[in-house]
Amino acid sequence: MTTDTNLAPAAPPGSKPRVPLSQRMQGLGGNARQYGIFGALVVIVLLFQVLTDGKLLLANNVAALFQQNAYVMILAIGMVMVIVAGHIDLSVGSVVAFVGGIVAVTMRDFDMPWVVAILIGLAVGGVVGAWQGFWVAYVGIPAFIVTLAGMLVFRGLALVIVGETVAGLPSQFIAISKGSLPNFLGFASNMDVVTLLIGALAIVAIVVSQLRARSSLRKHELYVEPLGAFVAKLALIAIGIGILTVILSFSAGGTPIVLVIVGVLVVAYTFLMGRTVFGRHIYAIGGNRLAAGLSGVNTRRVDFWIFVNMGVLAGAAAIVTTARAGAAIAAAGQNFELDAIAACFIGGAAVTGGIGRISGAIVGALIMGVLNMGLSIMSVDPSWQMAIKGLVLLLAVAFDLINKRRAGTQ
Amino acid sequence: MSSDVPLLSMRGITKRFAAVEALVGVDLDVHAHEVVALVGDNGAGKSTLAKMVSGVLAPDAGFIEIAGEQVTIPTPTAARGLGIATVFQDLALCENLDVTSNLFLGRELRLGASRDDSRMEQIARQVLRDLNSRIPSVRSPLSSLSAGQRQSVAIARTLIGSPRIVVLDEPTAALSVAQTAEVLVHIERLRDLGLGVILISHNMTDVRAVSDRIVVLRHGRNNGTFDAAAVSHETVLAAITGATSAELTPRSLPPLSPLLR
Repeated sequence: MTTDTNLAPAAPPGSKPRVPLSQRMQGLGGNARQYGIFGALVVIVLLFQVLTDGKLLLANNVAALFQQNAYVMILAIGMVMVIVAGHIDLSVGSVVAFVGGIVAVTMRDFDMPWVVAILIGLAVGGVVGAWQGFWVAYVGIPAFIVTLAGMLVFRGLALVIVGETVAGLPSQFIAISKGSLPNFLGFASNMDVVTLLIGALAIVAIVVSQLRARSSLRKHELYVEPLGAFVAKLALIAIGIGILTVILSFSAGGTPIVLVIVGVLVVAYTFLMGRTVFGRHIYAIGGNRLAAGLSGVNTRRVDFWIFVNMGVLAGAAAIVTTARAGAAIAAAGQNFELDAIAACFIGGAAVTGGIGRISGAIVGALIMGVLNMGLSIMSVDPSWQMAIKGLVLLLAVAFDLINKRRAGTQ
Repeated sequence: MSSDVPLLSMRGITKRFAAVEALVGVDLDVHAHEVVALVGDNGAGKSTLAKMVSGVLAPDAGFIEIAGEQVTIPTPTAARGLGIATVFQDLALCENLDVTSNLFLGRELRLGASRDDSRMEQIARQVLRDLNSRIPSVRSPLSSLSAGQRQSVAIARTLIGSPRIVVLDEPTAALSVAQTAEVLVHIERLRDLGLGVILISHNMTDVRAVSDRIVVLRHGRNNGTFDAAAVSHETVLAAITGATSAELTPRSLPPLSPLLR
């Protein structure tokens, strides 16, 4: 395979020489569709950058964008897994209020260290998820019903725990959402060096992992995407991260701590969904539950763990939300489930299950976040903001559907 | 054509669904290098018998032996552990996954914490090549393949994990003539690879084209076993319908198959 590298993919010996482009695009797991969502995000960012006279991409606004939307991204990661498996979770908003209450009470009334409170919060989230997963997976009640019940149950329990606002939380805890990484490396012409370093490391990590994946495919004589497309993709990723890094390094705090949390979760869950057997089984169950079961996939166990995972992530979102508010309130997390579900569908998840990606859900959350922030900067009335977001959700899914139909009739 | 000890031997298999007797004292033998066709009218118990071999149903009475050893087959996974692979009538495939993922569904190869995708893809290509299958790419999602190509994938799937016995439940029911021909070639390949094959079919032309022995079920009971090379259409049809062969003239036959002459 040491031929001219400018050639289109070298066909492995013995295989069919050329595969039609359409099929190759499909073979990439719908990457073309993914690029479409990224494109939409870029367009929306540029649109609001113009509409807000350049205020949208001011350093502090970009940092705030992540701090304000971290909870959606965390929930959307769990929600996309639930949706891919063909379920839905309507309870996450209530679970956020419930767990947030427990975390705050643990710190204030029981004087536990904030680290312990966080661990308790995640564990309680997991128990809540196990409760719902039990009813869905082992009793066979549709997730819509189980989590609708959960929505009421956990909102009620949140009201019981948080009779009145629980405030006065430790500053280290609040820093999770409001703080940034310490800039102990100083500044280089007003740019936070820590942020620059993280950005550079992220770029290097992505490039190295992509190169390794590519060389492994080559070693096994499998199909690799054309070198030009590969380089262009890497260049775009590097430029995107580079721009984000430079903007953030000018912000008041540098890198928001929640951005690091979200980043780690995205990497971990992209691996889980894309590269592990468990992830493959989630897609299989969403595609054809019966077939997956007949093939030896333990569908109940997979369903159960999907909900446990959703519960733990709801716990994480509760911690972030409570830290951001600086207090626990019983009304916290209202409509969070809808934000997360919308992010998944904007990001290309299919209502019928089987299709959806972590990266799509994150981009979906960012699109909603940018809309929020852009419209707020333009001081659009919140009522209209809500209406506009609703329309964007509808149009995004409609556009997707029409595209698929057109592809189907060809 | 066949060795002495059958690969699969079922004796006195009985199964009841509430008041309905689906199978009563049915016997079935399958040897290596042999295609056994299981035929019968609708409701004769063919699929019920096949589901016991593949671990979906358990018999109420009777026993199953694999290579001379008595076994129980409680789950599809257990069946696979015993070297039994099944292509179910309602294609047990996931349309959203690609060919490789479908071939390895439920028995993915692992490499540390992750899947060994490269190796699975290599094996997938090898298996499809063994079957002379015409799948454009092992990375095509199933939704982009034709019905015949999907059936090829379903049959190729049985070869993952080196099985000894393959059960095919109506593999050609939904296929065009050309696609059917391709699937029949696949079935012959399975026999050439030394497997024991159970073929369930309504289509007598298909059955006669590839099978070595024909086992007829009628109302859940054995109703004759025939050497496929020697037996006549009429004899088999008589066994299926319960009529004597003398009563059957081609014109009065039930419309079992449009391909029937």
